[in-house]
Amino acid sequence: MTLDISADADLPEFLGGAAADSQRVRRPTSPTGEGRTPGEPGLWVFILGDMSLFGAFFVVALWQRRAAPAQFEVSAQELMRSTGLINTAVLLLSSYLVVSALWAHRRGGMRRATLSLVGALACGLVFAALKVAEYLHVLGSGRTPATDMFYTFYFVLTGVHLLHVLIGVVLLAAWMGVLRNGRAVTRYVEGSAVYWHMVDLLWVVIFTLLYLVCAA
Amino acid sequence: MSTRVPLLCAWSGPATVIVATIGFLIAGVLPFPLGPNSSVTEVVDFYSDSTRVAAGLVIAGLGVCLVFPLIALIGVYLVRMEGRNPILAFVQLITGAATGVVLLVPLLLMTAISFRPDRSPELTVTLNDISWLLFITPIGPFMIQNIAIGTAILRDQRGLLPRWVGYVNYWVAFLFVPDVLAFFFHSGPFAWRGIFVFWLAFVAYAAFLVVMGFTLRRAILDESKLHASKAVAV
Repeated sequence: MTLDISADADLPEFLGGAAADSQRVRRPTSPTGEGRTPGEPGLWVFILGDMSLFGAFFVVALWQRRAAPAQFEVSAQELMRSTGLINTAVLLLSSYLVVSALWAHRRGGMRRATLSLVGALACGLVFAALKVAEYLHVLGSGRTPATDMFYTFYFVLTGVHLLHVLIGVVLLAAWMGVLRNGRAVTRYVEGSAVYWHMVDLLWVVIFTLLYLVCAA
Repeated sequence: MSTRVPLLCAWSGPATVIVATIGFLIAGVLPFPLGPNSSVTEVVDFYSDSTRVAAGLVIAGLGVCLVFPLIALIGVYLVRMEGRNPILAFVQLITGAATGVVLLVPLLLMTAISFRPDRSPELTVTLNDISWLLFITPIGPFMIQNIAIGTAILRDQRGLLPRWVGYVNYWVAFLFVPDVLAFFFHSGPFAWRGIFVFWLAFVAYAAFLVVMGFTLRRAILDESKLHASKAVAV
């Protein structure tokens, strides 16, 4: 009953492992057959886990709204609904472009996939720019996260979501790297696409909650 | 190397949660911790039973240190996953060591507050604010540690640990994000005692310790079984 780590051939060099180990094992590419989990099953632990954090945000926000519906209504009506609507459209378009990029990538249409990804990346950046412009406008009118509970949730929900968007942009950019190397669709690529759709889905709920439900 | 030491290190993950929770319950930090909107009287009262508070916090402080053996064991597995250039293993060891320290220091500070409960109340409130904000907000080392573990697991070709554990680590890293909001709110769900700050961080970190402890234990046992069956076959 021993656990002998010196039996590993690939110990680090400074622990006496073999020096030449430059050849990496090729990561298995994911099959494209029907009836399998997109990305990989473990990915969904993260996706559903992350969505449940947002779910808890939504529940607590609605709970707090019950205590002061009038105040939530007044504050929510100050938001520019048009900006939120444009951002929703931008993210929905980006999700479509990600679908189209994955579709093209699977069929080896690297050029089409790259173009779609560039479009999706641009959408992500437009979303972030509009969000920042909206923050500046809201802060400029003297509203801060401490103004009231509505603005607390406005800044926290959109801020944590914006962090997700920026991480998504990095993931999509790395996907472009996979395309440039001419490699097939990997678990990573599918995982990034799933992540991007989650970011989109979360925004749709955040938009509905903050800009529509609270203002009604 | 026998499996006994690695298994003890794996068990130290869940043990961290159990011992620290017991300490918190004795000290009165759990089930209802002080908040930023607690009155001066409430804060002074909390520390007035200084022997009980100090004893509980000493236990919690020792419990928190049980995380160090777990971090070492995670480090060994990350070295094996990464092979020749175990950079993430080092990132995990460095940040992991820092997490233990940033958990320990505020607990020591709280214990020190209980040392002289008859001091002027404003000082007790200030020291209490400092210890709670130090306890809750330094999320950097935790998040980097989780991302290093998650990335190492997902890049590992041999599958030493299940891949979902990698994704759990990414998730836990995200769950720490709201903690910095403790600086900006004195009441509500994002204050330090709020559901999205103390409670979320507590549950997320406990989940991390338990998941890592049990999956590493499983990996150690499976591997030793494999070695044993190989030895029989030879």
